[in-house]
Amino acid sequence: MRSLLKRWGGKKPPNYLTDNVNEDLIRLEDLVKVYDTGALKVLGLKRVNLTIHRGEFVAVMGQSGSGKSTLMNILGCLDRPSMGHYYLDGVDVAAMGSNELSLIRNRKIGFVFQSFNLISRTSALKNVELPMTYARKNKRFREERARKLLERVGLGKRAEHMPNELSGGQRQRVAIARALANEPPLLLADEPTGNLDTAASAEIMELFSQLHKEGTTVVVVTHEEEIAAFTERIIRFRDGEVISDRPNIPRTDAGEGQEGGIETRGS
Amino acid sequence: MLIENMRMAFSAIRANKMRSFLTMLGIIIGIGSVISIVSIGDTMRRLFEDLYRKIGITQAYIAIGYWVDDWRQSDYFSLDEMERIKEIFGDEIAYMDSNANTSADAYYARSTVKFNYSGIDYNYQEVQPVNLIYGRFLNEGDVLGRRKNVVMDTVSAMNLFGVENAVGKTFRTTIYGSTDEYMVVGVYRKEMDPFQAMMMGANTEGGEAFLPYTILTWPNDFIYALRFFCRDEDTMEELCASIKAYVARSKDRQPEDFQMITAKEQMGQWDGMLGGLSMAVGGIAAISLLVGGIGIMNIMLVSVTERTREIGIRKSLGAKTQDILVQFLIESAILSACGGIMGTMLGGGLVKAGGSLMGVDTVIRPGVVVMAVGFSALVGVFFGIYPASKAAKKDPIEALRYE
Repeated sequence: MRSLLKRWGGKKPPNYLTDNVNEDLIRLEDLVKVYDTGALKVLGLKRVNLTIHRGEFVAVMGQSGSGKSTLMNILGCLDRPSMGHYYLDGVDVAAMGSNELSLIRNRKIGFVFQSFNLISRTSALKNVELPMTYARKNKRFREERARKLLERVGLGKRAEHMPNELSGGQRQRVAIARALANEPPLLLADEPTGNLDTAASAEIMELFSQLHKEGTTVVVVTHEEEIAAFTERIIRFRDGEVISDRPNIPRTDAGEGQEGGIETRGS
Repeated sequence: MLIENMRMAFSAIRANKMRSFLTMLGIIIGIGSVISIVSIGDTMRRLFEDLYRKIGITQAYIAIGYWVDDWRQSDYFSLDEMERIKEIFGDEIAYMDSNANTSADAYYARSTVKFNYSGIDYNYQEVQPVNLIYGRFLNEGDVLGRRKNVVMDTVSAMNLFGVENAVGKTFRTTIYGSTDEYMVVGVYRKEMDPFQAMMMGANTEGGEAFLPYTILTWPNDFIYALRFFCRDEDTMEELCASIKAYVARSKDRQPEDFQMITAKEQMGQWDGMLGGLSMAVGGIAAISLLVGGIGIMNIMLVSVTERTREIGIRKSLGAKTQDILVQFLIESAILSACGGIMGTMLGGGLVKAGGSLMGVDTVIRPGVVVMAVGFSALVGVFFGIYPASKAAKKDPIEALRYE
């Protein structure tokens, strides 16, 4: 924390964890990621320049090996770029230490993974509480908020269930509730529907759409066109470079009939 | 956070009950043996202390040292000398006799029983309770008049006379070559706990009797040693020293030439020996804790590997290096402390069971229990450091990818 404060040049810094200091939530400048595998140096990302504004709903697409997973890891502050800058909410996280990155992940990013990644033998409620536990929130606050979030994703009655007692779609909704725990500005989903059937996939994507409408910035990494179709902007990657970046008209708005359509498919 | 960590630790331990138990077994056995050995030592010390309190902790003997070469007749005590010492130190000495013992066969009708006779003064009861149930105790007249009266316990009376109440009955015995008729004036009941019986020998076949010490001063009233009881346990050391000094002066010798044995000193020797012994054996048992600790480290390493993905998830949700470190340290400490608690119950239970089987009140000091459990938790922390730091250092991306 102290070194973070120093970066603000001694002036009283904005509380960058809670204040919205920048309209550009994500700004990548000449971002390069090199994987050093000993004898061979592999270029994961080649000078990527990209800006995602607060409140956008973006799909990052590409085949495997296109660099989208590398990007995902860097956007999620799980990995550091080799060169260039990554401004998350106006703060350059490229040079941060691992504990500072933990803090950023905790407050600024909500992860949703392909394989749900819930902690086993731990109730849905406790799973949702976990990011708040690491944020040192007190027990009563955690429980109250976790229950609210589970209700928000439609699992209010499943709070005490263990992950293995829930269906795939339900698990992913618990994961989404967990991702929202500390009200992060950025929701990062890595193939969130990869392990789900079509009906559950549509449900999850609908949930993302709703969260997006409520103001959360959502970035979905996927290789499926149908999933990308739910978003408002599609960025395509190939060989570590952006090859196209264009707006998209979300498919859920029109005749699809989101509410009814999902219910019939889900039942 | 701490409570949350402990909750997680318990759920992890519960998730692998059998494995956790087997891991704890090393600690259970280690702590169990430490607790039982230390408790056995403590119990023995308590028993010795009780024993010495019963036979009189203020008891002391003085005699010319066995190491003195030039023995003189004056090195013995005379009855007059004894009286003088009693007069001089009368305020501080509760009782004094000549510590005379002898054994001889006693005859009554057709029965012959080997008796041990102890010569005592009439006020013996003041320093050693005697549970007299029939007749009277020896009185001043018996002692001064060298009357051939005895007081014996119920078992001896049964052995010799076939009845407990033998008051008024006479028997014949030979003391220092002269055979005489002795009369029983009193019978007492002897109470001994099993440990006392074991240490001092329970009398089942033979006989024991008190008679006036003045009878046992043969051949010419020379007394080898004096036995006395001090009134005050706290000042008995100084008293013994001044008695020694007085005796040496009156016999024209150095105080170092006299041997002074006190019950307190003897007890101290037992105490020190048992204390040292239980510390040594307890220390050896503590080595098994090392083995237990290594077992814990081993299983924690396995657990860390198994839960690589969980570590990745936690890190992605914002767990810092130190959060993961503390989580695994607490888990290892709790695992070990649980073993410590079980070991305490096992060791304490064994000692209690053994104690009740032998009819002995056992001593299990709460301080030892607290230390044992605390130490086992410490073992857990120590052997948890390596696995926990391994967990904490895991790279989140690789950990998340782990299958």
